[in-house]
Amino acid sequence: MSKHETPLMDELENGPWPSFVSDLKRQAEKSPQCWDIIGQMELSFKDRMTHWKHGGIVGVFGYGGGIIGRYSDVPDQFPGVAHFHTVRLNQPSSKFYRTDLLRKLCDLWEKRGSGMTNMHGSTGDLILLGTKTEELEPLFYDLTHDLQWDLGGSGSNLRTPECCVGKARCEWSCFDTQALCYGLTMKYQDEIHRPAFPYKFKIKFSGCANDCVSALARADLSVIGTWRDNIRINQAEVKNYLNGASKSGGGAIPSRADKFNIKAEVLDLCPTGCMWMEGDTLKIDDAECTRCMHCLNVMPKALRPGVEQGASIMMGAKAPILEGAQLGTMIIPFLKVDPETEFEEVVEIIEKCWDYWMEHGKNRERLGETMQRIGLPTFLRVMEIEPLPQHIKEPRSNPYVFWREEEVEGGWQRDIKEFRKKHAQ
Amino acid sequence: MALSVDELKEKILEKALKGPKAQLYVKDFYACDPESKPRVIKNAANELVKEGKMVFWSSGSTTMYAAKGRAKDEEK
Repeated sequence: MSKHETPLMDELENGPWPSFVSDLKRQAEKSPQCWDIIGQMELSFKDRMTHWKHGGIVGVFGYGGGIIGRYSDVPDQFPGVAHFHTVRLNQPSSKFYRTDLLRKLCDLWEKRGSGMTNMHGSTGDLILLGTKTEELEPLFYDLTHDLQWDLGGSGSNLRTPECCVGKARCEWSCFDTQALCYGLTMKYQDEIHRPAFPYKFKIKFSGCANDCVSALARADLSVIGTWRDNIRINQAEVKNYLNGASKSGGGAIPSRADKFNIKAEVLDLCPTGCMWMEGDTLKIDDAECTRCMHCLNVMPKALRPGVEQGASIMMGAKAPILEGAQLGTMIIPFLKVDPETEFEEVVEIIEKCWDYWMEHGKNRERLGETMQRIGLPTFLRVMEIEPLPQHIKEPRSNPYVFWREEEVEGGWQRDIKEFRKKHAQ
Repeated sequence: MALSVDELKEKILEKALKGPKAQLYVKDFYACDPESKPRVIKNAANELVKEGKMVFWSSGSTTMYAAKGRAKDEEK
């Protein structure tokens, strides 16, 4: 039975879609504090302002992240949510869960908290919503001792690294995203659990440019699978698409599946226009291809990534904070990602960038904002990377990269009279 | 020459206890020893938290440091 009158919240149960209000009411039968969440949200709707205060010193011993303090500013009206802290858990790579573990986790969370979860936050973590300060240490003990489950990152820490399903289930993955994600999670435990930076830092791994974890849009450092040789073409399968034996996009979009038109769906949509047909034969000028994955998505049986696989590294993506949203900037077009070397190539890049950003980044400034402030040429110099054509987004849109005196034979010294003889005014 | 870890911790704690701001970003401690690398200063500050002399204050997106007893809302 509802503890509060909540006509505005009840409206959110109308309509054909699932409602979090219905979920909260169902959970409230087991966890009565959920009635107070609904009640406080109703008050927020009426007052047109939040009644949450977030932030504080709450945490578990030895950790400087993973718990986010949250308090009600109307605790007398809603005592069940006077403390309502958030707990972030480090999700397994690619979010492969065992169902028995999820059941145990839900049981534990109903015992120690509200029972409400968020699967998953934008960083990827499994988020447990709402517990009291005195439950934090017992919860952490049970999580780590009974479930062998650790907290994730929050605050100015390295956030929990996240990866797509990778080679576990996807034929397009150009490197083992799970191995890299797990390897770096273990290597950077200190950075995940204790604040290290001027602000948050996110690393995400996608096996191909379909970018299923949105690394390009969210991560300060994204590692996105690619290849540097040619797209593999199976011309017999191309013919099967042309004659309707194979369905566009693997039949994923039924309205388009029976009417495949290679010109409309592939050739005309190629962003660089590097594909054409010669009779029944598909041709690709791979030097012009940007590895966008569109043609592979439409004709998965006919086209596959090349065999020389690795990853591109982009840096500086972020949601709007101080400045507007930014996508990642291409920094390294191709890098071999090798588990045999414990991913030392990637580690070197990460740490070089951290060393600079820790020293020169301003407080609450994301890496992308630092890059914008100092300019791409300076950032490339910091990263000890030669400017490349791939750094140019499009002609005349990026800042120019100038030669420096030490890079030019003879420096800037010149005989101006001799120069003017050749360049008459 | 860079300060030893103990000297660094002493300077950091002094700043946290006596500075005008109760809550400080890790960068605010860099001035305690310009010779030390940011990572060394961060580790020293985190050690003070482990020893119970300082606390982390986190907004969820940013983490700050404060001497024990000086953080906002610490009574909670």
